[in-house]
Amino acid sequence: MSATDLADVDPPYDYPAYKSTALRAPKQVMLRVVPHPVEFFGPVFPDRFVKSAEADLTAWGKSAPLGEKMILVGRVTDEDGTPVRNSLVELWQCNASGRYAHPVDQHDAPLDPNFLGQGKVLTGEAGEYRFVTVKPGAYPWRNHPWAWRPAHIHLSLFGNAYAQRLVTQLFFPGDPLLDIDPVFNSVPDPQARQRMVCTLDLESGVEEVALGYRFDIVLRGAKSTPMGL
Amino acid sequence: MAIRTPSQTIGPFFHVGLKWEEGDKVTFASGGDRVILTGRIFDGAGSVVSDALVETWQAGPDGKVPGVGAEPRACGYSRVFTDSDGRYSVDTLMPGPCAGPGGEKYPPQIHVLIFARGLLKALRTRVFLAAPGNVSGDPLARAAGSRVSTLIAARDPGQPATWHWDVRLQGKDETAFIEH
Repeated sequence: MSATDLADVDPPYDYPAYKSTALRAPKQVMLRVVPHPVEFFGPVFPDRFVKSAEADLTAWGKSAPLGEKMILVGRVTDEDGTPVRNSLVELWQCNASGRYAHPVDQHDAPLDPNFLGQGKVLTGEAGEYRFVTVKPGAYPWRNHPWAWRPAHIHLSLFGNAYAQRLVTQLFFPGDPLLDIDPVFNSVPDPQARQRMVCTLDLESGVEEVALGYRFDIVLRGAKSTPMGL
Repeated sequence: MAIRTPSQTIGPFFHVGLKWEEGDKVTFASGGDRVILTGRIFDGAGSVVSDALVETWQAGPDGKVPGVGAEPRACGYSRVFTDSDGRYSVDTLMPGPCAGPGGEKYPPQIHVLIFARGLLKALRTRVFLAAPGNVSGDPLARAAGSRVSTLIAARDPGQPATWHWDVRLQGKDETAFIEH
């Protein structure tokens, strides 16, 4: 892997189109240093950290949440294609109306008493994971005039090593809001950007019940180090 | 080699999905000396960052990678949210000294990840729980040069278990972060 690859896959810290980076992006050069021995390993989450019910975001309330029910499936692998097994995947999202069950979210869209928007699972032997949820709505934000976030699902992954830790967002294919979203477009390489768009995967859904979407996730190698070290 | 999935910001609403019960209390399979690591996070205007997620990872008191303990969660790892004052606080044990494969000597240190709105990628760094005179052999301390002072926690003279470490994302005395 070249230094260019490293720079191209992730967004830069300083990205003026996304206003909140202005006072939070460090300005000094990032240090390059050999990883500390514990970085090649990561926290091990025991099975009991996750309840099986946490994979189904639609079964939390007294009745089903509003919205388009969907099944999200995918595999977590590293850059070499090795499955990332038994690793924690956490998910959070707004409801079908575009509102988070969060006190800070004041968007004038209804909360859904049957949807909290949080889930977690451990990946299986092939790195696979599966969530049942509803498709999140788009919502406005104040970054720029007429700013709307495209529908997205937040994902947090641990991999099997501290170096693999990743927080990302999943987007939906064909969404016209992708073109105007500075968060999505902060990723400089168009191919890498497409890595964040899930694909319709009908057969992973449930016939006459839920649409299936696939989102495969690629983490860096557990032993990877910054270029030249 | 497959293209990695890019990083994206955690946004302002992560508290919904990422809260861990007692996420601030780090567990280990064995005992050691208690340490409270606490401080505040500031942005480039000097305002507190009250919407950050801080995670820590570290060696156990024996200097080894933490394994699995009796608790229903991962050992050696914390997750906390900053409060309205920009403060984080982690209740852990003093990490033991480690040696690298090349014979590098690592003084006690805690690995830190910072996520927040406006950070499209987590910030990574390490904080030393050691006197400034005892970190000079560390590879990160050498890489940081004069900026190493931003990575050394200060032991509270009145409460010796407490170590203070503030983070400045930008501007004067900007904390040294690690490329990843």
